[in-house]
Amino acid sequence: MIRRVPAVLVACALALAACSTSPTTSGAAASADRTFVVATAGEPDTLNPVLNYGVDGASLIFDGLVARDAGNALVPGLAAALPTVSPDGKTVTATLRDGIAFHDGSPLTSADVVFTYQAILDPKVDSVIRSDLEMLASVTAPDPKTVVFTLKYAYAPFLQRLALGIVPAAALQGTDVNQADFNRKPIGTGPYKVESWTPGDKLVLAANDTYFGGKPANAKVVVAFVADDNVRAQRMRAGEFDAAELAPKLAAGFDSVGGYQVHRVDSADYRGVMLPMGNPVTGDLAVRKALNAAVDRTAMIGGVLGGAGEPAYGPVPPTSEFAEPAAAGRPAADAVAATAALDAGGWAAGGDGIRAKGGQRAAFTLMYPATDSLRKELALAVTADAKKVGIEIKPEGLTWDAIDTRISQDALLMGFGTPYDPDFTSYKLFSSQFAGQGYFNPGHYKSPVVDKALQDGRDLADPAARKAAYSSFQKQLATDLPWLFLAYLKHTYVVKDAVNGVQPRVEAHEHDVANSIWWNINTWKRK
Amino acid sequence: MSRRFAGAGRVVRRRLLVAVPILVLTSIGMFALGAASPIDPAKQYAGSAAFTANPEVLAQIRANWGVDDPLPVQYLRWIGNLLRGDLGWSTSRHEPVASVIAARAGWTLLVVSLALAIVLLASLLLGALAAYRRNGIFDRTLRAAAYAVEAMPVFWIGLASIAVFALALGWLPAGGLTDVTASGTGFGDVAHHLVLPVLVLAISQAPWFVLFVRDGVADSLRDDHVLAARARGLPGRTILFGHALRTALLPFLTLIGTHLPELVGGAILVETVFSLPGLGGVTVQAALGSDFPLLAAITLLTTAAVLTANLATDLAYAAADPRIRLDA
Amino acid sequence: MLDALPRRRVLRLRPGQTGTLVAASVLAVAILACLLAPALWPLDQSAVALDQTRLPPSWAHPAGTDDLGRDVSLRALYGLRVSLLVGAVAALVATVIGGIVGGIAGTLGGPVDRLLMRVVDTVAALPHLLLGIFIVAMLRPSLGAVIASIGVTHWLSTARIVRSELLSLRNRPFIDAAISGGAGRRRILTRHLLPHVLPRLALATTLMIPHAVWHETALSFLGLGLPPHLASLGNMINDGQGSLLTGAWWASIAPGAVIVVVTLAIAALAVRWREYLDPRVRAELQL
Repeated sequence: MIRRVPAVLVACALALAACSTSPTTSGAAASADRTFVVATAGEPDTLNPVLNYGVDGASLIFDGLVARDAGNALVPGLAAALPTVSPDGKTVTATLRDGIAFHDGSPLTSADVVFTYQAILDPKVDSVIRSDLEMLASVTAPDPKTVVFTLKYAYAPFLQRLALGIVPAAALQGTDVNQADFNRKPIGTGPYKVESWTPGDKLVLAANDTYFGGKPANAKVVVAFVADDNVRAQRMRAGEFDAAELAPKLAAGFDSVGGYQVHRVDSADYRGVMLPMGNPVTGDLAVRKALNAAVDRTAMIGGVLGGAGEPAYGPVPPTSEFAEPAAAGRPAADAVAATAALDAGGWAAGGDGIRAKGGQRAAFTLMYPATDSLRKELALAVTADAKKVGIEIKPEGLTWDAIDTRISQDALLMGFGTPYDPDFTSYKLFSSQFAGQGYFNPGHYKSPVVDKALQDGRDLADPAARKAAYSSFQKQLATDLPWLFLAYLKHTYVVKDAVNGVQPRVEAHEHDVANSIWWNINTWKRK
Repeated sequence: MSRRFAGAGRVVRRRLLVAVPILVLTSIGMFALGAASPIDPAKQYAGSAAFTANPEVLAQIRANWGVDDPLPVQYLRWIGNLLRGDLGWSTSRHEPVASVIAARAGWTLLVVSLALAIVLLASLLLGALAAYRRNGIFDRTLRAAAYAVEAMPVFWIGLASIAVFALALGWLPAGGLTDVTASGTGFGDVAHHLVLPVLVLAISQAPWFVLFVRDGVADSLRDDHVLAARARGLPGRTILFGHALRTALLPFLTLIGTHLPELVGGAILVETVFSLPGLGGVTVQAALGSDFPLLAAITLLTTAAVLTANLATDLAYAAADPRIRLDA
Repeated sequence: MLDALPRRRVLRLRPGQTGTLVAASVLAVAILACLLAPALWPLDQSAVALDQTRLPPSWAHPAGTDDLGRDVSLRALYGLRVSLLVGAVAALVATVIGGIVGGIAGTLGGPVDRLLMRVVDTVAALPHLLLGIFIVAMLRPSLGAVIASIGVTHWLSTARIVRSELLSLRNRPFIDAAISGGAGRRRILTRHLLPHVLPRLALATTLMIPHAVWHETALSFLGLGLPPHLASLGNMINDGQGSLLTGAWWASIAPGAVIVVVTLAIAALAVRWREYLDPRVRAELQL
């Protein structure tokens, strides 16, 4: 009895091993040549576009009415041509392409498009992108090929919102969309079908040979989810992946390794410090000016971002056609200008090296999300720079819900940005009507000039007029400095030399399975 | 044999009489903590999209979930659902808690049981050998090593092993469960990936067991029946493994039971270091995402499993040792 | 669990006098350094030097610098400060809870004692790191949450020690003598029971400290402990994980080594102490 115990345990363990390893999928011998493996940290929560998967297109599994080319310009997707906008800007009509089928063979009709958009507007559906479509009054399908969007008000960049993937109504009608099986095993029209998704491990996609944009150049794509940066880098070096997103410093390690190419891809993904107006220190323009001059953006990009970044001075990225060069500042620290701003604002040097004005020390708290090591490092870099000019910052790493309750009072290291239209995010972040609404304008920044410019940018259809509006918006922000913009990140990817067809494009803050460097992986081949 | 289990039914009942109320109390404590926690489940659900979602949208999500009901109602609903097998919806992983656990529990069990098997075999062997030559070189080295390992955090051992065996030597993978290109979970592939995590977990847990066996065997080597065997001139191997080790094995069984909580803790850390798709990794994710349903379900289930295993080792102990009466 | 068990004596190492001396001086130096650090080598927790990142060990930086150019050796010292503080406070919390439970069981005896000990056995079987993670996740990671999560999961061995000590004292002749001599309850408690229980309680608390330190570093390593920019041993090992791949192995060596050395020193001293208290005592105490 006694002697048998360890043997029994070993037997149990082996039996377990056998059970756990049994579900080996058949057909494992898919030619490795025709499979591409990419790795990312960002695993989507769901694969349903209605619930926020790949809402800006390039989702590999779905298509929107419109798509974006390598320059992020809109091109027709499921729509035969770019949808037309009525002269008053309130009616948008799209005509579908002929002969498009979902992965299950059922044909795509305008009813599917209507279902997709109505599901997002349905209050019973826990869709967090509903607020992106608040201009939408109704969607109708006068015939199987035509979709008509009726807007509550004219919204210039509406077509940009139509990149959202279309789901088949038949698969979801009558089910609880929030918890449908579809969210894990979706059916789309895109270049790849979902073969399997093992959460925490990988997503296996198989080519959709009848894809309307042409049969994919490869048979299979595996997206490996490896949350840990270091493990991902190690496995990339072991040759497991064809492409992987890596933290900049880790990616730099591949610069000198043969067989790999490091891509530092421009993005609209910025990091900056939100400075609340209600705080007695950050609410003072002199302090904000001093901070803006005191931070050494060059050193941060070199030391924290490993060179993969561009200095940021506003929320419109330099790669955008709407960027206003006059709003840019100096990348290096300018202690003289910072000191001058503090002197002019009445902040006098105190005994402890920290400036003060009328009994108020130039000290404030800078919050950062505790799990984000990049924001932690940026927060510490800002803290160190501010100290040099006599401003004391107390960094505090918190969870988001703890940050929530304090954002109107304490500064916060935030990140946002999409390259598609300056109205996205900026309208809600800087317009006074959103002051204090959650993470929209948490600092209660109010400027009539900015309000008007943002409204014009959304109302006016004429591109030149929009450009002028956003130029005035950026200049006003550079004057008021409600944020201390630090850097635009470059998303860093390591790709094997043998891969042919990589075509990076400017990326948004959100990038995981969708909208990463592999947005066009259906055209990738091996050399 | 059957007489040995005579009191078993009563003992099980008596154990349950304590264990069940404690499980219930734990669940109430956990629920109260979750309810008192300032964390907004709707924001956790929305993830990064919460930053661009309207407050009304979030309020609607909360209403859809019924999180605004009174607390006792919520508790009873939660516990009722748990008992019916509906473990709830994981807010951080956006899938049913049951399927999260089902997909991952097997790997955790595999890692834990393999490590335990290795620990048991190695500690019996090493401990007995050390005891045979008390205070010999082997004994002293082994004990010094055991104390040193006992003082090392398991995640640090894990990192060191990655640095040496994965990065410097390149012999073994640094993490993950399978080669990504593999379309399934092949035996050789998984085994290759599990060598480091299982060994690290085993090494970190071994000191307790090794020292225990060593002391136990050393004591029993001085027992009468062992001395008698020696006097009869039986070979050393027979004395050591046939007599002394057998006596020392009994309390060893209970040590396994009492040591399970440590093993669970070690598994969480090891899975995190090696990014294995087991329960440990997902527990940490759930904790970082304040995912109450998932975290609570994993904690309660693991607790119940450990309590059951404890009871099992006690019963096995009693069955193995005629001197113990279960109802004592 | 079962009463007839031989006691565990996992930690009965018998270091010679030199060993004890070494352990004592290591611990003395460590505690002294922790106490004097703010005066001798002040550390700005938020200071970074982006032009001195990842320098290998040198005379200026004995353990090198980390990803943000901070001196690893100095941060490890401050990490030890935080860890020892958290460990000591958490151990005290655990001692208070365990002392109360064990005290009740030991003085009342009988059915109350049996019930309480069953409860202690069962609670001891709960996976405490998992419960700790749960508590910290719900209370939000912070110093207080970490201390609470360690305190409420680690009081069991103290409860057992206090209880068994009290039970063995109850039957000793000098207690009987005191009772028949007309001493009141309070007098028996303060004059006779406490002096015997306190040294063992203190020993249990001391032995708990390394365990609490281990727990704190584990939580911080998982990102569920102290704020990440704060120098704590767990945070540093967590940060060092990133530097490992870029070749900066030194960033995680120093904090790990500090944990090992201090834990060993405390354990070695505690064992001597126990042998001094009672050469025959066998451990409920465990590391």
